[in-house]
Amino acid sequence: MRIEEAQLDATLAPVEGVLIRRAWQKHLLTFLMVFGPGLIVMEADNDAGAVSTYMQAGGQYGLHLLWLLIVLLPICYFVQEMVARLGIATGKGHAAMIYERFGKWWGRFSLLDLLAVNFLTLITEFAAISLALSALGVSPWISVPVSALGLTLMVVTGSYLRWERIVIALCLMDITWFALAYVVHPDWTAVARATVIPTMPKGGITNNLVFLVIAIIGTTIAPWQLFFQQSCVAEKRLRFADLKWARLDTLIGAIFTVLVAGAMMLVGNYGYQHRIGFEDPAQLAVAIGPIAGRFVRNGVLLLMVNAAVLGTTAISLASAWAYGEVKGWEHSLHKKPREAPGFYATYIGCVGAAAAIVLIPHVPLQLVIISVQVFAGVILPSAIIFLQLLLNDRDLLGDRWVNRPWNNYINWTIIVVLFALSLLLAAQVMLPNLFA
Amino acid sequence: MATMHNSYSPECFRVVHPLRDVPEQKCSSDGLGPIAMTRPVRISLTVLRGYLIVMTLMLGYHVLDMAGVVHVLR
Repeated sequence: MRIEEAQLDATLAPVEGVLIRRAWQKHLLTFLMVFGPGLIVMEADNDAGAVSTYMQAGGQYGLHLLWLLIVLLPICYFVQEMVARLGIATGKGHAAMIYERFGKWWGRFSLLDLLAVNFLTLITEFAAISLALSALGVSPWISVPVSALGLTLMVVTGSYLRWERIVIALCLMDITWFALAYVVHPDWTAVARATVIPTMPKGGITNNLVFLVIAIIGTTIAPWQLFFQQSCVAEKRLRFADLKWARLDTLIGAIFTVLVAGAMMLVGNYGYQHRIGFEDPAQLAVAIGPIAGRFVRNGVLLLMVNAAVLGTTAISLASAWAYGEVKGWEHSLHKKPREAPGFYATYIGCVGAAAAIVLIPHVPLQLVIISVQVFAGVILPSAIIFLQLLLNDRDLLGDRWVNRPWNNYINWTIIVVLFALSLLLAAQVMLPNLFA
Repeated sequence: MATMHNSYSPECFRVVHPLRDVPEQKCSSDGLGPIAMTRPVRISLTVLRGYLIVMTLMLGYHVLDMAGVVHVLR
């Protein structure tokens, strides 16, 4: 056991703090200090791809798939709780732990797969920014470079806390989804019923329905989340005593994310009720504008941009942290760019290259989207299995941090289901005629 | 520790931000080497290898299908 190198600087600084008189104030303040990584990882998962998937679910099947979100809530929480626990126990990122405990082959495989799927996902985020702002009359030649520049400026300040506060503010902007869902006047009784009672859509089980269900699961639990939250927890130097607050942060993030996803489905359902066909949320926003009003039209478009920005910063950081950990570079938002050049170069390289690709005319975005699904199908089960094995590594974690038996029953069940669904998703994407 | 009793007054608590607190000794893998190949670890990694092989084969089939080779063979 030793004090991690990243923490040595802090040992030189005197411990500061706030004196509090009441126990409840102590709990509240400690929670607020710990709060962040759980909300960010969950809400950033409602990225542009997720907006598209949830709105398609509402647009094609109305309220029929709302119940799925309630099923996904505990799954999201259990997986990310393990990540937070491992991050607090080791003070290291997921990529570094895979390298150290499973060797170079599995380490390189996990890292390269993560970098590939993250980069392809970033292209889809910038495509969404381009689409949404084009619908608002902003040329992609302005919107995409300005977004890339803004995303870069967010991280190069040399302060983790500054980045975290900006991103939490962006997460909270997603509260506007609730206003949009309210404005489109869904039948709240039907919403409540569809949330707790699964019902079969008209037409029964079709290839399209199965694909959409798997896509919802895939978009709710994404591979980059495992790497991101563990690195983020390590970056924030959360302490052992912070675990209960990190769990609460993760739970709040999971509940908020599922509620926002539900609101997206309700807005999509408005298109379903008015028989408006659409391929992406920007199309739907433009089509429902004359019926639902400018607030809904512009709200959906701007929130689509917000979702893409959140997704881009979190995913790029997941890549930069993972690559920096494995390379042994300085990999911290606490450092200035000149102190951690490789880390910042990875972040800026990912953002810049993805933005540049979107500006290439006639870029095959459909191929990119399919590749994301295939890569995600490959990496999610492998990343999650390493997580589960690490959380059972008594030599590393000791008795205090390893999974309890009930943790293992739940997590192995989740892993088996994810393996099966990932295989099914990949099979549907790669062999579309297999189930015809 | 996240919070601690003030040594001068039991009624006071000092709340310290994680980034400004004294570092803890974390669980470290130094000197441990690779993970022990217990039965669950061996089975999990074998299943993972099998899964990756199946995925690679499907991807290969998809590429051949897109290239029109599968259609010619049929």
